[in-house]
Amino acid sequence: MKAIIFLGTASGAGKTTLNAVYCRHLRQIGARPAPFKASNLSLNSYVTADGREIGMGQAFQAWACGLEPTIEMNPVLLKPTGKGTMQLMLLGKPVADLSSTRPMDREKVLATVGAAFDRLQDSCGVVVCEGSGSPAELNLQKTDLANVGLMRLRQVPAVLVADIERGGVFAAIYGTWLLMPPDVRPLLKGFIINRFRGDAVILRYGIDRITELTGMPCLGVVPYRALRFPAEDSMSDTEGRLSGQDVHQAFLDNLDRLLADATDAGLDLATLDRIASLST
Amino acid sequence: MDTITKKVSQEIAAGDIGPNLSCRYHPSHFTGQDCTFCYCPFYPCLDQTFGYDVIRENGEPVWDCQDCLFIHRHAVAQFVMHEIKDKGLAAGDSRLLQEVLSEAKRRYWHRGRALMVVGATSDAGKSVAVAAICRILHRAGYLVAPFKSQNMSLNSRVTVRGCEISMIQMLQAQAAGLTNADEHMNPILLKPKGDTVSQVMVEGKPFGDYTVEQYYKEFVPGPGREAVKRNLDFLLDRYDMVVMEGAGSPAEINIYDADIANMQAAALADADCLLIVNVEWGGSFAYAIGTIELLSPADRARIKGIILNNVRGDPQKLRGGADELAKRVGIPVVGIVPHLDIDLPNEDSEVFRGRNSRGTGSKRIAVIKLPRIANFTDLDPLSLEDTTVVYVTRPEELAGAGAVIIPGTKNTVGDMHWLEQTGLADAIRGLKEKVPIVGICGGYQMMGRVLHDPHGLEGEGPGDTPGLGLFDSESHWDSYDKRVIRDRGELIDGGGEVEGYEIHMGKTDSREQPLFRITSHGRRDETEGSVRSAQMLFGTYLHGVFDRPAFRTKLMNLINAGGAPAPAAPSKDYAAEVDRNLDRLADGFESALDLSFFRKLLRGEL
Repeated sequence: MKAIIFLGTASGAGKTTLNAVYCRHLRQIGARPAPFKASNLSLNSYVTADGREIGMGQAFQAWACGLEPTIEMNPVLLKPTGKGTMQLMLLGKPVADLSSTRPMDREKVLATVGAAFDRLQDSCGVVVCEGSGSPAELNLQKTDLANVGLMRLRQVPAVLVADIERGGVFAAIYGTWLLMPPDVRPLLKGFIINRFRGDAVILRYGIDRITELTGMPCLGVVPYRALRFPAEDSMSDTEGRLSGQDVHQAFLDNLDRLLADATDAGLDLATLDRIASLST
Repeated sequence: MDTITKKVSQEIAAGDIGPNLSCRYHPSHFTGQDCTFCYCPFYPCLDQTFGYDVIRENGEPVWDCQDCLFIHRHAVAQFVMHEIKDKGLAAGDSRLLQEVLSEAKRRYWHRGRALMVVGATSDAGKSVAVAAICRILHRAGYLVAPFKSQNMSLNSRVTVRGCEISMIQMLQAQAAGLTNADEHMNPILLKPKGDTVSQVMVEGKPFGDYTVEQYYKEFVPGPGREAVKRNLDFLLDRYDMVVMEGAGSPAEINIYDADIANMQAAALADADCLLIVNVEWGGSFAYAIGTIELLSPADRARIKGIILNNVRGDPQKLRGGADELAKRVGIPVVGIVPHLDIDLPNEDSEVFRGRNSRGTGSKRIAVIKLPRIANFTDLDPLSLEDTTVVYVTRPEELAGAGAVIIPGTKNTVGDMHWLEQTGLADAIRGLKEKVPIVGICGGYQMMGRVLHDPHGLEGEGPGDTPGLGLFDSESHWDSYDKRVIRDRGELIDGGGEVEGYEIHMGKTDSREQPLFRITSHGRRDETEGSVRSAQMLFGTYLHGVFDRPAFRTKLMNLINAGGAPAPAAPSKDYAAEVDRNLDRLADGFESALDLSFFRKLLRGEL
């Protein structure tokens, strides 16, 4: 199985963007990537060619892969509809209104997720997955779909993305690792520090200490760039540069710029490829 | 000395008076102070716990105890009055008075206790939590002071002694019921001058310029650590509780030994700590456990409780996760605090992250978002009016603005160049006489004809830079001098009072009508600022110029009338509004905190 999942230490850590950046790399080396996110909680959706709704982030990542967005890329969409209720959409169709008294039929939803993942895998070279929020939410872990849920379901190896901008980045990485269920923890293969400003040398001691504590290597310190990408939810940073006429192309140009800068800053694409089973 | 003896005799004759509410200076120290002894009967006590010698210009030492609050504690004042009357001491009987002081000190003085709030990230809610705890403790009758070792901010305020400290400690001091914040509450202030260099202020005065590396290698282990210890000791001698605020995360393991703003400060004050986590971004349990587990064992033992902050929706949905977290780390979650929508002055450029406007009122006020914008808390009071404040970086964004404000900056010359490059300078010139234009501090300097910087003190190299040319004035930077002072004044053409503070390098020579008459410096005919009423042009060095209603009302009248003044309802007093909001903030925390835990914490029983 060729797949990898980008997990985040928080919302807005940069999962969506780094997933898309990695997709650009895979496309350049001819590895035929396709994006996947088991479930999205968002009102900001995109409509596929066959008229079905998926999360904006996966549509964006599909373009990065040179693909037309399809429903398999995001089989579950949860749309908040008001006080404590959510509309559950499976494969783009509304199927139920959920609330605390009417929980999701998790087995059925997981089966849909698994089947969509398998169909997507059959049609592409490597599935580049994205988690949702943080995988370490103790109150949500049991019912989680997009993080621990998918990892268990298909044994997908993971990379943890942590945003350094707000501080506490080492605590975020170590704490997330500590709170992963013991059966899933071995699937955490490395971490990436995102949105760094300055000289990464000052992080050296901290990075080494985290590797010593968790066994996870650091796969890169990605520099902060004021580049704009589609806003998926209210937490994302949507400030920054966007130029040109075609907005799709402008987003892709920004991704390529970030890929080049991240590679220059030492993003370890070779190890990422190994984690995704593209090479040994 | 004879004057003091005489005054004290009068005080003894007058007896207990408690807080003197009819005194025009009340409260001179803190809300609820006892004024029985306005003049201390023990002066000069020469007790180093309460005061210190200052050397006068003639070389003579003089005993300075202006920071001592001991005699203004109600219990102390009552005891001293009772002893003096009981023993029939005459004021000035120094040996016997020393005995009374010793006994009062033995009974009522104790070194204060410290409590510290550390955060899992920046923006975790440390500042507001400290403000809330200060207000809760003040309401419970404690004499309490806020403290933060080190702040990186361009939003400083000026204390009555003319020292610069962070505006947040100023706000927290207000929450603590203190009339005056002082430099001990924020002994180190870093003011970024460029990308890599900061001006370091110690105890409110410039200390030197440091690069990041120099700061950690040279400043922190020596003068930095000394300053933190000295000022913590100072506050712990004078207050019941010192509520400390950490900086960023305490678990930055790459700089752990050089971090004097978090656990090292806690150790110096022997503080019990609370860890606060902002749950809004997710991952809060991971941030909490990660922070705690990366601390050294001794530091970890100081963390007594965890606060989950800024919860939207039902806080109880986090209860299960919180219990699990508490079990894993062996530290209780002592509060799940809901998102509190309370308007308080803001710090740091965080305000601007992902946001370019504030408010939803009908009057649009354009604020030029200068690259090195400083003291933009000046604009907060505009939210009290029917306004939408828009932060502008491009000429087209000025469309529809009813007024333009050019705020302060850390680099007037550099930002003036930016103003020209973006085309905003011409756009602002084009709005002259059409809408009110207000320049504050650096913005005021820009409104003149020219900026002379012959020595390149602003950091852009020596030379002259044309200004906006709205005023017949010139600003010049002749020396590295900085003016830091608090002012009170009134609008010269009537309309009421203003209060504020100046922090600037450079001076302005103006041939315009002055805007304000300054009343607080004891000199007659002192004026400030420039105004051309008919053209609706206003310039001032006064930060906080909108805090009091007068000038704000004047601006709003001009906006509402599209030029001509129109009557409006009296505006609210911003300081009083802030005080009400501090109470609401304290209420919010109080109802979310585990109070039995909190009581044990205060008694040092954890």
